[in-house]
Order: sequence, then structure tokens, then C-alpha cells
Amino acid sequence: MDKLTVTAASRVTAADLATARLGSRFGRMDLFSQLALLAVESLGINFDSLARDRVAICLAAATSSLATDVEFWKGRDAAGGLSPTLFTYTLPSAAIGELAIRHRLTGPNLCLVGGDALLLAEAADLIRRGEADACVCVSGDVVSAALAELIRVPATAGASALFLQRGGEGPHVLRENDRDIASWCAVISGAKNLG
Amino acid sequence: MTLSPIELKTKIIDSLKLQDITPAQIDDDAPLFGAGLGLDSIDALELVVMLEKEYGIVVKDIEEGRPAFKSVRTLAEFIVAKRPA
Repeated sequence: MDKLTVTAASRVTAADLATARLGSRFGRMDLFSQLALLAVESLGINFDSLARDRVAICLAAATSSLATDVEFWKGRDAAGGLSPTLFTYTLPSAAIGELAIRHRLTGPNLCLVGGDALLLAEAADLIRRGEADACVCVSGDVVSAALAELIRVPATAGASALFLQRGGEGPHVLRENDRDIASWCAVISGAKNLG
Repeated sequence: MTLSPIELKTKIIDSLKLQDITPAQIDDDAPLFGAGLGLDSIDALELVVMLEKEYGIVVKDIEEGRPAFKSVRTLAEFIVAKRPA
């Protein structure tokens, strides 16, 4: 079985957005897409060195697009009506589109809703089936205050990303049962800190 | 009655949530869509919402309003002509 290596990982929260500058259109995106884009930007991947049609995107949205759905629906009584821009983000996969546009990635993509337990396995499967040579993996969750009240879970906003590539050796080789993206982010950032 | 281009540009920037663009950077006659400010069809719909919200102007037919969306100047003229008294 092909070895796959995690070559970069990152974790961002809403606090990191204050200083983020990712183009004039970044502001119109919903919070989930902004976090996903910033998490991938923080990976520091040079996509110019890769065949863009061989890079997949796998994204897990723990609470789907519910926070944006609630925000969108709140606009129904506003003058002028609901926001057309926000409407485009009432799908959990919208962030995949934004990532693909920003980095001009045209490989396969996959959106998982409800958790990220299968994210790494699905990404690995895409590569091992020969559909891609690498995969941008993103796991995010946005629970706004309004959504937190509705579904009775704590408010949160954050995203983790990692880059999975075919080949490689060493401690960052993906093992068959690796599921925990948060642990990978901790391992990779720990390695960076150690220089 | 006239409309300040700066006021309109500020409302465009705010409604479209454009980052790192100031009113001074938008030319009065530059195309809003395509090569100029680079807006797209979703932005056009958002501007229609802005017109109703900020100026009470309802654009029922986007085709009818198309000439108005050529530039800041044409949009300002459209608002002045259509704004309820």
C-alpha cells in the first residue's frame, strides 16, 4: 500500500481573521469559508510546484452550514430581502469552491457533514485509488451564538487543515487508523517549534 | 437633487464587504463589472438589495436596471432619478 505523508498542518480560529488579508473578495465570504481559506493559507503550500488537477480537496463541516443558514434566514424581514451573497454560502461545500478558485485546484473534491472522523481515510482513499497525488484536508466548525442557542451546544469557530501527499518517510507518514486531525496539527506545529 | 459619489462608493464597499478598497480608489466612470471593479452577478443582486435598503428603490427587472449598473456615475444618476420624493 502506498505510503502517504502529512507535510503541513495548521489550526486557525476566528481571532486569526482580524489580520488576514486574502484579497478584496475575502470579506464577502461566510465565516466558515474564511476560516477554511485561512487554515489552508497557513499551510504555506506552494501549489505552483504541483499539478493542480492532481490535488484533491476534502472538507468536513461539523455542523454543516447551519450558522450561515440561520444568519441568512434572519435577513428575511430586512428591507430589500435576503442577502444573495449569503445565500451562496448556505451549502457546506461552498468553502471547497472558494478554495478551488483561490488556488486554482481542479482535482476531485469531497464534503463530509457531521464530523471529521472519516476525513483522513477518505482523503487517503482518493490518493490510493489514483484520483489524486495530494489532498488538502480541512475540518471546520462554526457555531454562532444564534445557532448555539438553537442546538444547545457551545459557540465555536475554528478550522484545521493538513496537506496529505503520496510518498515520503519518517514520523509524519499517515498510519491506517489515523483519524484525529487535531493531533496531527499539534504534532506538526510541535515539530516546527522544535525547528 | 444630487448624490455624493463618495457616499455611494462607501455604500457599495459596505454592502459588498469589499476589503482593502477605499472610495477614492474607485473611479466614477470605471466599469463596476468585469474589468473595472471586478464585480460579478451575485454582486449585482446584492446591489439591487442595497438600492432598496438604502434608497427605497425597487428594481423589479434586472434587465431594465442593467444600464444603471455600468459605473458609479450611472448608478448615482439612476438613484437620483428613481429615488422616492
